[in-house]
Amino acid sequence: MPPNRRRITSSSERERKMGQIKRIHEMLVNKEISCVELTKKYLEAIENSNKELNAYITVTPEVALAQAAKVDEKLAAGETIGLLEGVPMTLKDNISTKGIETTCASKILTGYKPIYDATVYELLQKEGVVMLGKTNMDEFAMGSSCETSYYGGAKNPHSLDHVAGGSSGGVASAVGGNLAVYGLGSDTGGSIRQPASFCGIVGLKPTYGAVSRYGLIAYASSFDQIGPITHDVEDAAIVFDAIAKYDERDSTSRGSEPALPTLDNDIRGKKIGIANQYLDGVREDVKEAVLQAAKVYEDMGAEIVYFDLPELKFALPVYYILAMAEASSNLGRYDGIRYGYKAEHYNGTHDMICRTRSEGFGKEVQRRILMGTYVLSAGYYDAYYKKAVNLRGAIVEAFDRAFMNVDVILAPTAPVTAFKSGYLFGEETDQLEQYLSDICTVPVNTAGLPAVSVPCGVDREGLPIGMQLIGKKFDEKTILNLAYRYEQAEHKTIETKWGVKL
Amino acid sequence: MVTREDIENIALLSKLFVDEKDLDSLTEEMQKIVSFADTINSVEVKSGDFDNINNLSNAFRKDEVKESYPVGEILKNAPEQAEDHFLVRKRA
Repeated sequence: MPPNRRRITSSSERERKMGQIKRIHEMLVNKEISCVELTKKYLEAIENSNKELNAYITVTPEVALAQAAKVDEKLAAGETIGLLEGVPMTLKDNISTKGIETTCASKILTGYKPIYDATVYELLQKEGVVMLGKTNMDEFAMGSSCETSYYGGAKNPHSLDHVAGGSSGGVASAVGGNLAVYGLGSDTGGSIRQPASFCGIVGLKPTYGAVSRYGLIAYASSFDQIGPITHDVEDAAIVFDAIAKYDERDSTSRGSEPALPTLDNDIRGKKIGIANQYLDGVREDVKEAVLQAAKVYEDMGAEIVYFDLPELKFALPVYYILAMAEASSNLGRYDGIRYGYKAEHYNGTHDMICRTRSEGFGKEVQRRILMGTYVLSAGYYDAYYKKAVNLRGAIVEAFDRAFMNVDVILAPTAPVTAFKSGYLFGEETDQLEQYLSDICTVPVNTAGLPAVSVPCGVDREGLPIGMQLIGKKFDEKTILNLAYRYEQAEHKTIETKWGVKL
Repeated sequence: MVTREDIENIALLSKLFVDEKDLDSLTEEMQKIVSFADTINSVEVKSGDFDNINNLSNAFRKDEVKESYPVGEILKNAPEQAEDHFLVRKRA
């Protein structure tokens, strides 16, 4: 054991670092600041920093201040408030908000104002949250850098020369840059975890079915899942518990068990698996940081088990085939007739729809629609789509077998740290190379599992490194428990210079 | 092997126009992605047909008639509308 690390034996010996949500809750309850003042601080910070970070697409000061005023009224009347009440947050711009523009960072949805709220936002409004605005993302969540956004990519709060990651890059940039306390993103192939990792914060991708997808604009429906991006693991547990509910409007939703009550449980005797294949091709410093974290767990009394998961090697092509197939079908609805952008000049309905789609979708979205249509078309369906569906079954079974021997799996969140900005548009950029960078995150979505990304170090340039803990289905509480204990022992989060200082 | 004709055909199915000048580079790009996708055909699958990824059963709701959204609200998002309908002109 390195001399600078103290051995941690029992939970009572340590002082807990409180998460941001509880800190704000205390500030509000103790009347150190009013909710309107707090909200104004965040709105000012957005005003000052958004030009550089490009985290927000739409800022909603009227909504936020009205929500904040209600919280202040309750406090003035001496009423008790909930943990999330009055806490300023943001939503990724593919989560529907009634009367508030929701663009998916695509030209084709400019001006679109949903007529209903997504279930997650409905649930959070019941908790009394303050919604600051809608955040940037890769167009239709298709990308790993946020740079396919029609509005330009969000920047990394640790270095403006680097991307925030994607697709939920705007949420990660906003939370890492303290322009929101937390946010909700969506994760289809890593879109919550990878940007959280790049921005040095926490991102939870819940089990498929734990959180309602009603009102989430679909990319690949059998993979998509909404989850929190936060500063602290405790915050992730609080937000997760508020949104993981059965919803009759999503026939795949069933909710999950709450994570907060067991967050600080002892982890002695827990079995943490490391699949050798997860470390293949991972940059040396990232691998070292993850293995160092494994040592921390050992010091805390957990057992590390190495094992093989050979099925990982085809998780990536399986994911891309299926996700693109689902995308090509989901994006068929954009026809210029019912909402969003419509081509100005055309001759006939077919021409109108084709022009609208060709002018409205960005390059990457068109590429994925074409590829998805290809794998679903006659002659290729059996070789690609059907084969990939069956292989997906093999991946699910491989994870099931692994979880017979371990409680969680520890892996890097991404094989590298944040990419340089402009990566996507470079002369040498190979699209396939960017797809390959998702290797660590996509297996989780392919198998429908929960996973949380937590900061575990920095590289030579000072960019954050993240690790993920992958759990059994509907066992978010165990991965959050393990993530929390690591965070409390190591404190690997680095503050950025941006935004509101609490 | 992905050909220019393949791309033209799937573009038609996808209702997308592909610029003549982009056709060659797009064909090349798609060939790369398809070759990558082809790696799955080197693996044998033992398990049979698989179609329920998350072993979820449908979360059915009660079959009750509920009020839907007002037509006027829905039409507000339409680029063009007339007399409570979406409007699509033959040409513009």
